[in-house]
Amino acid sequence: MKKLLISTVIAATAATGAFAQSPSDTAKARRAFYTLVGYEMASLGAMAQGKMDYDAEAASQSAKDLMTLAGLHTADYYVPGTSNADLPGETRAKPEIWSDMAGVQEKGMAFYEAVVALNEVAGNGLDALRPAVGQLGGTCKACHDDYRAKDF
Amino acid sequence: MSEQLEKTYLWDPVVRVLHWALVIAFFTAFGLGKFGPDQMTLHFYAGYAVAGIVVLRVLWGIFGFYTARFSNFVKGPGKVIAYARTLPSQTPSRSYGHNPVGALFVVGVLLVLAMQVASGLFADPEDYINVGPLAQYVSSDITRKALSLHEPLSFLLLIMVLGHIGAIFWYKKRKGENLVKPMITGYADLPPGKVPGE
Repeated sequence: MKKLLISTVIAATAATGAFAQSPSDTAKARRAFYTLVGYEMASLGAMAQGKMDYDAEAASQSAKDLMTLAGLHTADYYVPGTSNADLPGETRAKPEIWSDMAGVQEKGMAFYEAVVALNEVAGNGLDALRPAVGQLGGTCKACHDDYRAKDF
Repeated sequence: MSEQLEKTYLWDPVVRVLHWALVIAFFTAFGLGKFGPDQMTLHFYAGYAVAGIVVLRVLWGIFGFYTARFSNFVKGPGKVIAYARTLPSQTPSRSYGHNPVGALFVVGVLLVLAMQVASGLFADPEDYINVGPLAQYVSSDITRKALSLHEPLSFLLLIMVLGHIGAIFWYKKRKGENLVKPMITGYADLPPGKVPGE
């Protein structure tokens, strides 16, 4: 249950041959995954920053959806050969992801833990939500800094 | 040979305060950006401070004290080259205000700082907490361009700052001129007749 979303990425390396999808399909799925993560995060961020009225139910639902997304088995979104070096213009995922899987995993764990923490407080009012969203956004940044190119 | 020098009012308080405020704001913004927490609120404040300083300096460069005004120190290529030729010599420059080469740095650093502020305002790192306040008004193509410029520009600025400090050392060691003290006290020792209109 509490397995990290990317915890089995290394295992996926061995299973690469099992995927029939093209590298472009993989990059597309990966970006779609993060689009969904971003979609939930956007409303939480807007509430935390006061750009949108706090709504306990909506916040809890977004947090719950993030939990669901974080629980996905995402290793197959990280098939080797799908970095921005392999697929220029299609993805911003840097080759460093595959050369430093331990680092990615650590940051993924921080993300997962922040989502868990967010779920505990999302419905408890704006003052409880804000630091949890800040913490979670920080884990987005930490990974983007090292493993995502700034532009295509 | 003893050169006759007199205490001369060189830098007004606005220039001096803005200069040292920029030193603090720039290094705070740089340090927090590079090594600071992932929640970058303080980096944003330091960036806004830099923005305010740049705007005020440009206004002061138009309406301010004599040595602060761009029209009095920005020179054409002829004067820049002529002054650059004197840089290696041991002869003190005894400039009243920015020399023609220093003027290039002043204008250049203000331009790059303005670009850096703009790139920060429009950058969207897609973490939903450290989003530039103007990013929401432009396309994601532009927010990505801004994001990709922000870090390289910070290193360009660092290099410019190091070059600036290097020049200060050069003037001190080679020409025996202390350029730091006037930026603190406002006064420099200059030969008589340097101040226009006196």
